[in-house]
Amino acid sequence: MADMKIGAYICKGCGLGERLDCDELATIAKRDGKAQVVQQHDFLCSEDGVSMIRNDIDNEGVNRVVIAACSRRAKTDAFNFDGEVCVARANLREGVIWIRPDEDEFQETTQEMAADYVRMGCAEVKYQTPPHPAEERGCHEAILVVGGGVSGMTAALEAAKAGYPVHIVEKEAQLGGAVGQMWKDIPMHSPYTDPVEPVTRRLIEEVEANERITVHLSSRLTKTSGAPGRFSADISAESGSTTTENFGAIVMASGATPYDASKLPELGYGKSPDVVDRVEMEKLAIEADGGPIKRPSDGKEVKKVTFIQCAGQRSEKEGHLPYCSGDCCLTSIKQAMYFKDRNPDIETEVLFTDLRTPGAPGEDFYRSGQDKEVTFRKGVVSEVVAGSNGPVVKFKDLILDEDVEEEADLVVLATGMVPNSGVDIELAAGPNVEGEEEEAQTDSEGNAIEIPVESVLNLTYRQGKDLPHLKYGFNDSHFICFPYETRRTGIYASGPVRRPMDTPQAIEDATGAALKAIQALENAKLGRAAHPRSGDLSYPSFRKEGCTQCKRCTVECPFGAIDEDEERYPKFNEARCRRCGTCMGACPVRVISFENYSVDTVGQQIKNCDIPDEFDEKPRFLVLACENDAYPALDMAAMQGNSYSQWARVIPVRCLGSVNTIWITDALNSGYDGVVLMGCKKGDDYQCHFVKGSEMAHYRMSKIDDTLEQLNLEKERVETYEVAITDIERAPKLINDMAETIDKIGMSPFKF
Amino acid sequence: MSEVIATNQTILVVGGGISGMTAALEAAECGKQVLLVEKNPTVGGRVSQLYKYFPKLCHPKCGLEINLRRMKANRNLRLMTLTEVTAVEGEAGNYSVTLKTSPRYVNDNCTACGACADAVEAEFDDEHNYGLMKRKGAWLPFNQAYPFRYVLDPRIIGTPDADKAKAACKYDAIDLDMQEEETTITVGAIVWATGWRPYDAGKIQPYGYDRFDNVITSVELERMMDPHGPTGGKILRPSDGKEAKDVAFIQCAGSRDKNHLKHCSRICCMASLKQATYLPEQYGEDYKGTIYYIDIRAIDRLDDFYQNIQKDPNIKFVKSKVASITEDKETGNPVLHGVDTEGYHRYSNPHDLVVLAIGMEPSVPADGFPMEVVINEEGFVELDEKNGAFFAAGCSSDALDVNRAVQSGTASALRAIQVVNRVAGAEG
Amino acid sequence: MSDYNQQMIEKYRGNFLKEVEANVEEGDWVKMCMQCGVCSGSCPLGPHWEHPPQEIFMMIRANKREDILSSSSMWMCTSCYNCIARCPRGLPITHIMHGLATYAKRLGLAPKEQPTAKFAQLFWDNLTKTGRVNELKLGLSLYFMNGFGEGIKTALKMKDVGLGMLKTKRMTPMEMLGGHKCKDVKGLQAMLKKAEELEEARIGKRG
Repeated sequence: MADMKIGAYICKGCGLGERLDCDELATIAKRDGKAQVVQQHDFLCSEDGVSMIRNDIDNEGVNRVVIAACSRRAKTDAFNFDGEVCVARANLREGVIWIRPDEDEFQETTQEMAADYVRMGCAEVKYQTPPHPAEERGCHEAILVVGGGVSGMTAALEAAKAGYPVHIVEKEAQLGGAVGQMWKDIPMHSPYTDPVEPVTRRLIEEVEANERITVHLSSRLTKTSGAPGRFSADISAESGSTTTENFGAIVMASGATPYDASKLPELGYGKSPDVVDRVEMEKLAIEADGGPIKRPSDGKEVKKVTFIQCAGQRSEKEGHLPYCSGDCCLTSIKQAMYFKDRNPDIETEVLFTDLRTPGAPGEDFYRSGQDKEVTFRKGVVSEVVAGSNGPVVKFKDLILDEDVEEEADLVVLATGMVPNSGVDIELAAGPNVEGEEEEAQTDSEGNAIEIPVESVLNLTYRQGKDLPHLKYGFNDSHFICFPYETRRTGIYASGPVRRPMDTPQAIEDATGAALKAIQALENAKLGRAAHPRSGDLSYPSFRKEGCTQCKRCTVECPFGAIDEDEERYPKFNEARCRRCGTCMGACPVRVISFENYSVDTVGQQIKNCDIPDEFDEKPRFLVLACENDAYPALDMAAMQGNSYSQWARVIPVRCLGSVNTIWITDALNSGYDGVVLMGCKKGDDYQCHFVKGSEMAHYRMSKIDDTLEQLNLEKERVETYEVAITDIERAPKLINDMAETIDKIGMSPFKF
Repeated sequence: MSEVIATNQTILVVGGGISGMTAALEAAECGKQVLLVEKNPTVGGRVSQLYKYFPKLCHPKCGLEINLRRMKANRNLRLMTLTEVTAVEGEAGNYSVTLKTSPRYVNDNCTACGACADAVEAEFDDEHNYGLMKRKGAWLPFNQAYPFRYVLDPRIIGTPDADKAKAACKYDAIDLDMQEEETTITVGAIVWATGWRPYDAGKIQPYGYDRFDNVITSVELERMMDPHGPTGGKILRPSDGKEAKDVAFIQCAGSRDKNHLKHCSRICCMASLKQATYLPEQYGEDYKGTIYYIDIRAIDRLDDFYQNIQKDPNIKFVKSKVASITEDKETGNPVLHGVDTEGYHRYSNPHDLVVLAIGMEPSVPADGFPMEVVINEEGFVELDEKNGAFFAAGCSSDALDVNRAVQSGTASALRAIQVVNRVAGAEG
Repeated sequence: MSDYNQQMIEKYRGNFLKEVEANVEEGDWVKMCMQCGVCSGSCPLGPHWEHPPQEIFMMIRANKREDILSSSSMWMCTSCYNCIARCPRGLPITHIMHGLATYAKRLGLAPKEQPTAKFAQLFWDNLTKTGRVNELKLGLSLYFMNGFGEGIKTALKMKDVGLGMLKTKRMTPMEMLGGHKCKDVKGLQAMLKKAEELEEARIGKRG
């Protein structure tokens, strides 16, 4: 390590100079913080202030910078120093003077807060080193696309157009997927009035003509290992041959399987040959190819056809799909047009409960269906039975409020789609985390949807063979603002495997997924983190000699980044890592750290806070706040003029999951009177951007009671909360609650 | 703003809402040079005005914080606020774009200390709160605004207020001599993410938005839920400030209607279902919600959200486009008139408050584009080869929810990258 | 008339939507209704409709031919145009209602004692006789539409209005004697006859 030289820079602007004794802060930085260079400035973020710092970096050898000014969220442009420099921000503005009343009686405690933050800032930088990208960096540029349907081919072509080589692995003997089985598709360009040629025909031509794209038909992935930038995949053909290729990133576009309509005998499927599902309807149309569409039973031309929407969908009945498959309304309108466009006298009726044709294209297409005299009836179908001339549909017309029986020549069930998302690894792993084999998922009962259990990716990851499922078997992202956040870095689900969707959306989705794949491999080349800590160069490493091989880090990593090596030590795959620090929080022997974020960078802040002895009647408590939600909430509380207890010392953490319990026990041992942890929402609708971080923290803290008992401390001294970024009133209140608790139960007996 | 660096390998992103921010960030994080222009003083767009997202009921500010951090950390991305595109010439891979930047009257020195706002007296309608409250003539658009700098309203320039603001600033951050600037730059591709605006509810005559206090729009309700919004986070009736516990939601207010917007705005069904959850959040069990709808479009896996609301005995669904609203003069209650079409039942239902699930219309009118662009009848930009390297993202391409808007932003980023990569390849 | 009805039934064989499209003024639009109900809710006479317009549109699609054509509903329309103004799909509902009423009458299915229908007939007969509306006669025939007794009662009830009108010369009793007429009554009647023939021919061709 090069010589460390700390420069502490104290700003006197924004009222800091008036509210605080900055000379004293400078002395503290020098004396307690051991800063070799200490400067004050009236306006630190000004060009002059910044160039003063830069000058010290360039000419005085300062390589650890403490900015004692505003929040780390403010003035980021100004305090952004390149090179081998670590920066800490002592938050004196939002964290001290803005949240404390400007009155003489509080002056002393306000000054103490500021002094502590200066000490803490100095301590933090002392234990940081500037991050460098990991040495293990893959630089494969090829993208692996799993699935050769619309989504897969689109992802491949779009990536190829940006200059990247692509391999498509398709399990069938031809490209095209579900759309390839259609006679026509819904329109994708205005006017949205008529069915169009399926886009697959054009896509197949383009894929086959594209030099950058290699297609593996009748093939599957039998083994996928590695990390972004250096994935290795075994592509096995039905013929038995296997080739191994290297990839930078993966797009999983494995599509969906049509729902098995034989589960719907009440709708006549299997009882009458003239009740077909949506896929069979396409086949009838292909056979007719523009001529009269004939019904299966006797080949008679269909003169009346009834479409039943939501067949086996949006239903809590066993064996049905609980969700809406999204495209069935448009599909039925399109299929009704197959009849109407040829012969307007054919009666076509669509029985629906909610007609879902959103957006401009959707509503235009619905209107066009009406214009072509497709009849839409709001009704609930109870049964389809065989009649003398064809299937009879029994339904309740909800508008006319009456029960109806109607015979048709053909009944089409608008059945849904089941994602081909592979093994549900969470089910497979079950409660037994050490699970040897992952074949148990088939007999999992109580799971209404049958998910195809053949693995799609066959990942060699310790955490399981496929992407984790979100809900109903879809590999969707949990995040509304970040639809591509799968929990396996560099592997992006796309198309109907991610959520139900129609062709235009699948094309949009696949294009986006291709970008994410490109981004992942470009980041991997440079050793940078992917979202949400995009660009972060730090990564976790561990001290092998201290490791007890307890495996907690591998189990708790929300992103499956950590495998085990041959000696059963953790094997960090930096390019898969999202830098949340959950592993660091998990490690009972504290051997995991980042260059700029470690047990020490936080632990030393905790230690360097000044703890007055008990006769001073000045409690101290620690607040560990998630930097994405709780910490900004406190910042904004300060902007709104809220205040919170002068006894609190707030430290932002990457994620509550990174909180190692040693911080809590150390704090309590060294005389802190309490600890407040603020993380994001956990549970099904979790808001933690590292998926499980907050949940892990809550779990770990639920165990802290034993420690408190050993120390003979009240358990109210440690509180863990879920705090949202909008909790601008609540977050300060939670801090004040702790102050009150301490007031009530008394100071810690551990003061010196 | 003196040296805007852009070349034909730069991607211009127009609009700093969720779609534009996404497109800009995704491209920049692929290593591309990106210039993001936003006509308002801050990025964030419509989502920054929302209280919660469906279906997770999480807070848009959370994702915004992440995106802002991504922006602050990325050197490939440049941001120009208060800037609009006035003209585009040229072709894919080589566009000449004219930008007009309005003066902020506040320079980089601003520390967001707020002294100028304290000094200024003039107040104006707060755009962030749809005019439901006032803001100062020197203001920070909202507490997550980025750039984190104040703005002076041009209407105070030349008044004593402007001088007061200048005098209050200790950091020489106020520059009253700032002028509108015009810049011409070269870019390779354009991502057009100008988003949407709420349809003008006053035009829906039978609903009396312009006449009845207690008829509000869905976007206004979002602002009411903000603890720092116009009602301090409570659902209060504009007429008398009383808590509104019996709330009606009118779907397709302006949408699916040839008199207004022909298209379905997609988000409004889910938005009303989401807003229906605000009632128990505020009142526990003492509330009533009625949703008047044509079709509930809780599409794909969002349907379970709808199913859950249907299980709530306090929420009623009526399949009906409300015909008209009158006002009960005594109570101030809006009375909704119409027919429940499921079985033909007439109703005249009084409610405490009516929320119009207002439709989305493209922000840029059909004749407002800086170059010739293929748009559909509804005014949304089509994906069309004739558009060259002009790619629409988010709600300029269709009425989209946030998830799809981000998807669209990401996709258009790649389309733009393809163009600049081609340019880079050609230029070696 | 009932022959005509039978003819139509056979021609359209349970596809009433097609029948309406071919025979009812603006009947093409019926298929575009999306059952929002704004028309039904907007009608000032709404509560008097057995089947409001949106329901009629659904009934047409559900082939409820007799129910609709013999219904008094569409005779309730007073042409206020509220429904047209508000219909999100732009259906000319007022015209369709009148179209349906006309068609029902032509088929002989319109309700016999429907006052709107009766009045319309009186108006037409009154007008075509002289080419001018004879308001006195029209008023009186309206009074006596439902029998002599009721006519007298109504006349007595309205006597003040009547006297007032006489006084202010807004009404002349001389109108009882034939009344004023247009210049060429014969010509007018010939024109109407020709129009009727043309219309019959058109319906025949279309129907």
